[in-house]
Amino acid sequence: MSKEQMTTTADDAIITVRNLSKYFDDFEALRDITLDVKRSEVLCLIGPSGSGKSTLLRCLNFLEQYDGGEVHLDGELIGWQDISHNPRKPLSGEALRKQRQHIGMVFQHFHLWPHMSALDNVAEALTSVKKLSKKKAKEAAMAALTKVHLEDKAENYPANLSGGQQQRVAIARAIAMEPQVMLFDEPTSALDPELVGEVLSVMKDLAAEGMTMVVVTHEMGFAAHVADRVAFLDSGRLVTCVPPEEMFGREPDDARVRSFLQTYRERNVV
Amino acid sequence: METELFVRYGPALLYGFGITILCWLAGSIGGVIVGFILACLNRWGPHALSWVIYVYVEIIRGTPFMIQLFILYYGGPYIGLVLSPVQAGITSFVVYGSPYFAEIFRSGFNAIPKGQIEAARCVGMPETRILWRIILPQMLVPITAPLTNFFIILTKETAILSVVTVPELLFQTQTMAAETFTFVEPFLALSLFYWLMVLVTGWIGAKVEQRVTRHLKRA
Ligand SMILES: Nc1ncnc2c1ncn2[C@@H]1O[C@H](COP(=O)(O)OP(=O)(O)OP(=O)(O)O)[C@@H](O)[C@H]1O
Ligand SMILES: [Mg+2]
Repeated sequence: MSKEQMTTTADDAIITVRNLSKYFDDFEALRDITLDVKRSEVLCLIGPSGSGKSTLLRCLNFLEQYDGGEVHLDGELIGWQDISHNPRKPLSGEALRKQRQHIGMVFQHFHLWPHMSALDNVAEALTSVKKLSKKKAKEAAMAALTKVHLEDKAENYPANLSGGQQQRVAIARAIAMEPQVMLFDEPTSALDPELVGEVLSVMKDLAAEGMTMVVVTHEMGFAAHVADRVAFLDSGRLVTCVPPEEMFGREPDDARVRSFLQTYRERNVV
Repeated sequence: METELFVRYGPALLYGFGITILCWLAGSIGGVIVGFILACLNRWGPHALSWVIYVYVEIIRGTPFMIQLFILYYGGPYIGLVLSPVQAGITSFVVYGSPYFAEIFRSGFNAIPKGQIEAARCVGMPETRILWRIILPQMLVPITAPLTNFFIILTKETAILSVVTVPELLFQTQTMAAETFTFVEPFLALSLFYWLMVLVTGWIGAKVEQRVTRHLKRA
């Protein structure tokens, strides 16, 4: 397939990122990022530590306020009221919460609420945000837990779940909200190697169901086999965004990509 | 030990004990409420306000309770604030305790990992709901012990209220001692009453702590 055919057009894109920039004080964490994510696409973000992968992901749901450029989800500007106005004004809490309901997020360290059972972790936002009745919320939460194969752990507190199980509860918590897209920030990096597989397998199922996913990962195997495209970030810049065959299949043109992937090749990961 | 003494002064001592408990409970619960509001304003309120709160906390923590009580009770009337001894006692307790409680709550807020709050925002939970469902239940774990501790410290601070003639326990004990020229018995009784308060407070604190840490126990 030629590169042109893979390039997304604005129509079928659900997330559009245009000239995005982000500063932490004087430090430029992201520079002029332009990127589309198509419906049902799995996009993996890779790159060296500190290259801005998490920051980019967190701009997509406005956990970080981006400074320049635009992020749209399904045509709607994320986070800011309107960008012609200077300085930019963030949306009201209410409006931002509406947007965030459509964007699920999964973190490296799960961030489950330890004082609630697995089921309550998943049901909480169904009652408090989606306003489902207690009974309906429990049913929906149970359905989400079943999807991640944890129906028999519903009553466990997070302290009584393995890391892999905790991360699957976190995924259930996000998908129970029926988001339009899912963001994953190194979902397997905090896990013991033998637990990585169960989480990746749940993510593969999600991808197969057609969920749009943006995944920051160091799992090159997942990127190579599940991603539709792989984006490489370096020093806050988008170096390249290509199908995995191109990223991993041959010698990359860019020296930075080459040396980054080299370290994985040496460990026989790709 | 003369039991006759206690028959005669028992009611007065018990009354004093009642006043002590009233001032202590009303004052410290008021302090908890004001302290909680201060901590919330400090965290979620406008920036200028947190500066005002900082100054308030530093001033109150930097002066002895007795001075605050004196200023409120004897200085109050100059600005039209005339309070009965008990009212002044309770009010000064609230003023004195609130900054300490505010600090305890502040440390409790900070004990909740930021990621948990971000996770709650990501599913669209409103900030008030995050406070009640995510932050408060968990912060009870780190704050129960310091809260209990400060409640216990306050039980004994009530004795200072006697200097503005609040008819509390120490006041009654001193009256009894002065009138009967006995010292051992009244002050023994006094110690027993305080000890009882401390014991009960500590017991309640331990029970609360047990309850709020349930989820941390591994099965
Ligand atoms: N809140 C912050 N304040 C200041 N600097 C920050 C902040 N968050 C991130 N940075 C900086 O921005 C840069 C990008 O960080 P980011 O966390 O996005 O990198 P990353 O690609 O996710 O790295 P890693 O693979 O280690 O997770 C880093 O240099 C980091 O130090
Ligand atoms: Mg990161």
